[in-house]
Amino acid sequence: MKITAVLLITALMPLAAQEIKIPASLEKLAAKADETVDVTLDASLLKLAGRFLSDKDSDTSATKKILAGLQSVTVRSYQFSGEGQYDPADLEEIRAQVKAPQWSRIVGVRSKKDRETVDVYFKDGGNGNLGGIVVLCAEPTELTIVSVVGTIDPAQLASLGGQFGIPKFDFEIGSIGWRREGK
Amino acid sequence: MSPRLLALFLAAAGAAYSADHEFDRVVSAVEKHYGVKRTHIPLMGLANFVVKVSHPAGTSGFKLAVFEDLPSPSEPDALADLDRFMDEICTGGLHPMVVTRSRPAGESTYILTGEVGKSTRILIATFEPHEATVIEATVNIETLMKMIGSPETAHSLFQDKHGDDDGGR
Repeated sequence: MKITAVLLITALMPLAAQEIKIPASLEKLAAKADETVDVTLDASLLKLAGRFLSDKDSDTSATKKILAGLQSVTVRSYQFSGEGQYDPADLEEIRAQVKAPQWSRIVGVRSKKDRETVDVYFKDGGNGNLGGIVVLCAEPTELTIVSVVGTIDPAQLASLGGQFGIPKFDFEIGSIGWRREGK
Repeated sequence: MSPRLLALFLAAAGAAYSADHEFDRVVSAVEKHYGVKRTHIPLMGLANFVVKVSHPAGTSGFKLAVFEDLPSPSEPDALADLDRFMDEICTGGLHPMVVTRSRPAGESTYILTGEVGKSTRILIATFEPHEATVIEATVNIETLMKMIGSPETAHSLFQDKHGDDDGGR
């Protein structure tokens, strides 16, 4: 039984740590976009970075705590010169990967005025922690996808924004807004 | 010398050789791909010595290669071509960590890293219209984190160390 349990846990571990797969159709957007930012930080880099960050400075100490649980950070950001450069349906491939029961959509904003949609998905990591975050932000000329995999203390969530290439999150009571620097 | 000490020495020497090899390989690839030669930068050795001694901005050593008069990129596939080129040379111990591209400015920046540790060897390749820069540096983890946060300014950190962009030409 012990061997079976170990095998089962070993088999399930990659699933628990599974990161969101960015569809090829979205990766190809880099060729159309005016400005793109791709950030891919894997587990080995994040773990080692966390190990060597200093505890003395308050900023790096906070970053170190966040890094301790992270397994991957992926950011894809595209800015286009005009509208219609991407197909909103392309995002459905990502939405299909963040479905219940593992994932919950915590925030869903649809702005008719700005024609902007923001979706924030949280994965239950157990023990009151998050197991992952996916943010999809789509505007007519801009598309941002953020995927963070790993154990995240909700109290540290605000600190994630502005680090590792992740745009800043703007937290308000009971909701999470989206704020870009300079806006 | 004990076998254990010898093994450690050889491992360290091997790692150092491998890291040097990565920089030289990328520089050669750029030279071959674009048919250009790197620009000679006077006092580069002195600048590197200063960096090794004083560790400014968490850097404990760097190598810099600047390429001028690159042929004009052929739109619209220039950025895609560049991605393919970087994919081809990013083999072995180098992994792309951050990539930024600006089509209007014709600029692309690739930040690659090898093994991360207390000091991490990174390679920054910046391509602008008619100019490219390849930098290999050993930085501490705080500097690495700053670079991830603002990749578009990463290369300027090192170029400033030998005066400015034009200082060494």
